Amino acid sequence: MQARGRCWVFGDNIPTDQIVRSDRALVSLGEMAAHVLENLNPDFPGGVRPGDILVAGRHFGQSSGRAIAPKALQATGIGAIVVEYAARLFYRNCFEIGLPLLECPGITDGVEEGDVLAVDMTAGTVVDETIGRRFSARPVDPFLMEMLEAGGVIPMAARLAGEGEA
Amino acid sequence: MNLVEKILARASGRAKVSPGEVVVANVDTLLLHDLSGYLTSKVFEEEVGLPMRYPERVVMVFDHHFSPPTEERARILEANRAFARRHGAHLFDCGSGNIHHVGVRNGFVRPGTVVVGSDSHTPVHGTLGCFATGLGNNSHAGMVMPFGKAWFRVPETIRIELSGRLRPGTTPRDVALYLTGEIGEGGAVYKALAFTGELIDGLEVWDRWLFPLITIDVGAKCAFVEPDEKTVAFVRSMTGEPFEAVGSDSADECEAIWEHDVSELEPQVAASPTLGNVGPVSAFAGRAIQWAELGGHGGGRIEDLRMAADVLRGRHLAAGVKFNVVPSSREVFTEACREGLVEDLHLAGCTWFPPSTGSNQAINMGALADTEAMVSTHARNFPGRNGSAKAMMYLGSAATVAASALRGQISDPREFLS
Repeated sequence: MQARGRCWVFGDNIPTDQIVRSDRALVSLGEMAAHVLENLNPDFPGGVRPGDILVAGRHFGQSSGRAIAPKALQATGIGAIVVEYAARLFYRNCFEIGLPLLECPGITDGVEEGDVLAVDMTAGTVVDETIGRRFSARPVDPFLMEMLEAGGVIPMAARLAGEGEA
Repeated sequence: MNLVEKILARASGRAKVSPGEVVVANVDTLLLHDLSGYLTSKVFEEEVGLPMRYPERVVMVFDHHFSPPTEERARILEANRAFARRHGAHLFDCGSGNIHHVGVRNGFVRPGTVVVGSDSHTPVHGTLGCFATGLGNNSHAGMVMPFGKAWFRVPETIRIELSGRLRPGTTPRDVALYLTGEIGEGGAVYKALAFTGELIDGLEVWDRWLFPLITIDVGAKCAFVEPDEKTVAFVRSMTGEPFEAVGSDSADECEAIWEHDVSELEPQVAASPTLGNVGPVSAFAGRAIQWAELGGHGGGRIEDLRMAADVLRGRHLAAGVKFNVVPSSREVFTEACREGLVEDLHLAGCTWFPPSTGSNQAINMGALADTEAMVSTHARNFPGRNGSAKAMMYLGSAATVAASALRGQISDPREFLS
């Protein structure tokens, strides 16, 4: 499973409230995506293109467990998220909705906004093609890779619950 | 095995589980509030489309709206009511109180059980010796509602041992705020936190509650307090439902032990932008506030109301200060009526609001303009959470909130203790 695209770089400790403001929690995903992360980078929602890579720092997606934060990011068409490390619920939600995410220590020290990144979920690597540098990600649990390949938790739920193929 | 491992083993039908394993476990209670419930219900009906297997385990509490402020919100609450009726789930309507308090007071949280919810503070139920954690909409809609199960990775456990006696004016919430700073945001990602030691042993259940409440903000998955006779008596006072408490086999069943002596600790304040921005009240003293609140996921306990009344009784708020008092449940408001706290706080200039989660995220109250600041017992202080991203949110104990409201600026509660 691979993604390749220009990257957008964000900082540390970004809460879900800053990804999708809580007063937009009940609007359509398209409308959420049109404002996603705008408080931190007003150019992001209008400028992000399908296949782009979102890079962020430590404890990305902290605070609420609402899956609308990763769902709004997924709705922009981004190919993958690469962070120093993610908040637990954000991490879980990404795999549960089928959005590739890698935790890659050191990524924010090496990567500049606009660099082209090649992300390989299976190999657990991120290559910054602009500067020619390779980063190693923390391994993803095989169970979560399986979930990602299934497209999220819903398609595999019945099988997980021991009730046959979904 | 420790408490979390034992509960997960029992709930997944295994003799033993170890950290790192992924298990599929039976869920005893699913707690949803009016916002997350709406999002989850849409995924369940539009993307999953299966019957709800155990509606009696699903509890929805309208706690972010004590009354809908707009027609759009009224429609959402109506949709939630119809969803609960259609599937036979429990519903606690506007005015019932905060989701977690309502869950506990109605017997849905019992020692030894698995409790999940979409509110990120769901780990607070580990206070009663549960395995409790927050999950996302797709887990709830895709697995918990149709199958009564969820997947979990068994977490590593860190024991946080708290020793020492609190100085006058320093409260359990000050310790919890201090620990958030010490552990750090993301300082315990994916861990289970076991709160132990003489400080925890000596506290009543509603004060122990403030410790697992910080789980999410240090990045942990869950937290717990080993159940003792206080826990059992507390749960017995809430419900006649049977339960089987479990405890850890030994205190050594953990990855690490972090020790803290609280005897020298001063009252603490956490200022925006994040909870990790915490320090002694003296570091923030003198900063202007126009709003004060006892409420949110962290506040509005009877203990908070009493503490504030002790500071405010016979005094009056500073000019220009507005003080929202939000009981965490109807039972807390009943107690406040009986103890005369309603009159005490009213006469001091406070305004009473209905039992709810108060101005958390300013869903039905409590929005701030960019020049304003609030001091509260809330659990969060992120920019933009309550209105303007420029507004400041200070978090402290009920005593610090009350003292600050008397001066119109962040103030040390010890100056007002008799």
